[in-house]
Amino acid sequence: MGDKEKVSVNHLTKKFGDLLVLDDVSFEVMDGDLLCVVGPTGCGKTTFLNSLVNIYRITSGEILLDGRQVDTRKQNIAYIFQGDSTMPWLTVEENVQFGLNLKKVPSGEKKERVEKYLDIVGLTKYRKFYPKQLSASMLQRVSIARAFATEPELLLMDEPYGQLDIELRFKLEDELVRLWEMTKTTVIFITHNIEEAVYLGNKIMVLTNKPTTVKKTIINDLPRPRDIASPKFVELRNQVTDLIRWW
Amino acid sequence: MMKIINKKSKYTLISIASVVFVIAVWYVCINVLHLKAETVFPGPLTVVKTFVQKLYTKAPDGATLPVHLFSSLKVALLGYFLGVVFGVPVGIMMAWSKWVDRFVRPLFDLIRPVPGLAWIPMFILLFGIGIISKAAVIFLSTAVACIVNSYTGIRQTKEEHLWVGDVFGATNVQKLFRIAIPTALPMIFTGLRVAMGAAWMALVAAELLAASEGLGYMIQQGRYSSKPALVFVGMLMIGIVGLVLDTALHWLEKKVAKGMNAE
Amino acid sequence: MNEKVKERLLSVLCAVISIGLFLGFWWWGTQRTQLGKLLPDPGTVFTAMCGYITGTVGKCSLLMHMLSSLRRVLIGFVIGSLAGVSLGLLMGRYALARAVFNPLYRVIRPIPPIAWIPISIIWLGLGEQAKIFLIILAAFANTTLNAMTGARDVDPELINAARMLGAKEGQIFRTIVIPAAVPAIFAGLQVGISSSWASVVAAEMIKAENGLGWIIQAGMDNNNMSQILAGIIMIGVGGFALTCIMRTIEGVMCRWNKSGR
Repeated sequence: MGDKEKVSVNHLTKKFGDLLVLDDVSFEVMDGDLLCVVGPTGCGKTTFLNSLVNIYRITSGEILLDGRQVDTRKQNIAYIFQGDSTMPWLTVEENVQFGLNLKKVPSGEKKERVEKYLDIVGLTKYRKFYPKQLSASMLQRVSIARAFATEPELLLMDEPYGQLDIELRFKLEDELVRLWEMTKTTVIFITHNIEEAVYLGNKIMVLTNKPTTVKKTIINDLPRPRDIASPKFVELRNQVTDLIRWW
Repeated sequence: MMKIINKKSKYTLISIASVVFVIAVWYVCINVLHLKAETVFPGPLTVVKTFVQKLYTKAPDGATLPVHLFSSLKVALLGYFLGVVFGVPVGIMMAWSKWVDRFVRPLFDLIRPVPGLAWIPMFILLFGIGIISKAAVIFLSTAVACIVNSYTGIRQTKEEHLWVGDVFGATNVQKLFRIAIPTALPMIFTGLRVAMGAAWMALVAAELLAASEGLGYMIQQGRYSSKPALVFVGMLMIGIVGLVLDTALHWLEKKVAKGMNAE
Repeated sequence: MNEKVKERLLSVLCAVISIGLFLGFWWWGTQRTQLGKLLPDPGTVFTAMCGYITGTVGKCSLLMHMLSSLRRVLIGFVIGSLAGVSLGLLMGRYALARAVFNPLYRVIRPIPPIAWIPISIIWLGLGEQAKIFLIILAAFANTTLNAMTGARDVDPELINAARMLGAKEGQIFRTIVIPAAVPAIFAGLQVGISSSWASVVAAEMIKAENGLGWIIQAGMDNNNMSQILAGIIMIGVGGFALTCIMRTIEGVMCRWNKSGR
């Protein structure tokens, strides 16, 4: 893990009309972190990510990436949304290429990366398929490949595995860890599943109920691969659960 | 499996029988029982004969069927093409830019409820009885249908898809061409097909009213010279050409908007 | 809330500007260019139109012409759409009906109703009947297809559920197939009413003594552009009114389907 700050959030506040969603939130994400954000349902986790990439305009405060205002045209960010966001008019392969085309990656490298990430998510056989021909979990893998293919310096994931069955979920969690270890990308991973957070994150940030503030950030240095049945894992999981439960 | 095939072929047989039956009744009523004079309601044989004759004879309206057909197609496709080139981009711009929408929409809403063919008298006074007035009517009919459908199509763009573009740093133009227009493509094609129907109909109306050539003119002359068989031939020709054009567009749609067709 | 009011005001302002500009160009064109020889300026058209409404054009006032056009459309549309919807529902539900009628329907459908004008005059003469026949055709051709698709695409689960509860075929048709097809039917009725309106205008242009189509046709014959424009405006108003009425009826009939649009 680096000791450089990748993302710094200072006094971030976001209101929708009169509804205060994020209340003066401040924290940092270090370069190379895999930060899991957990909190009660509807506490503004998605709002936070969307604010980070300017999908929502923030009410006050600032969000800096590498010490600069976030600008998605100059900085290489990828986002995996909660629902299906694949483009129905593109094949699997073209979907994975989507970000690369926008970022004008040279064609030789583009090809290489598409091959690589299609292979990693196990969709090489389905490259010519259209999204409507695939299952929900395959679609999510397309989104994941699309995001990783741009080799982002910051990857945002908003409950990406929420709708998947448990087996695939475990598989993709391990895949994420592998990719993260390989690429050293900074990842912010939102989930409401505490076990998932403890399994994945090297840091876990617990949020409070609305209006949302940061309750506590926990360092998680359990060795990988992690065993969800080991006493230390269970202990940490209970600790996080208590943090969420005790208001 | 066998049963399904049997069922299918059974219904196909019924369909064929139904068509044959109608033609037979038609023949019996006109040619056997003489319920109506052939100068009012021609029998099926007369219609076929007239069709074959019309392929090479010029009477009574001064041109053969292929000449009329070509003349109609020329005008229709000219006006249609211009209407599409104008209408689709305007519809897209109206849906994509709030400012274009605010200024263009009020004018568009004024024209929209007027059926294209109602402009015929005005255009004839302005441009005379020629290809221009007809093409102008078709242009208007086509443009309206294209604008409505392109607009609706662009408006169906999903927010999430635009977000994906935003996060990857897409410019506004890139978002339009890589996200919104592909989303709208099926609707744009629907517009093209609706517009083709409207254009063809407007053309027939224009030719009925004021023309010296074309299928509409031909059926009008058929009426004046009391040759209903010729009217029948013209109507069937109009229907067939409309169907062919529509099928061609449908085929093109399937080729272009691949991942978007419902199976 | 404030945002919405602002947006409203802004769009009204823009509408006023753009329509104002359009009228301004029109006026300028008629005053300063060759166009003036062919086209009256907006003021003249407006005064002429008021005159037609309060006074007469042809045998009666402009409004009466509009009413006679509307009357033709309504009679033809009711008959044509009833026939079209019934046939379409039958064809959608029963394969036998589809096998018998679909091939014939497919021959008739691609022929635009307007192309029937000459033959309808031969058959039914120049009177009211020929025009109403035409509108029946226009309404029929457009509603049949939609009703058929609507009845065919009914969720089979619903039908199975009803059958499980012991519903007979007649009950299924009445209580499930017809209500489920209503949104599709209304889509067809919408197209049908605009097509009928266009057809009545065309029919009146070709042969009539009254009606909006006659107005514009007579305007052309007398070289009276104001009369044509007044007619076109009323045709637009009539078309708009018919669409609004259909939409209101649809809103009442398909309250459960509102979000689907």
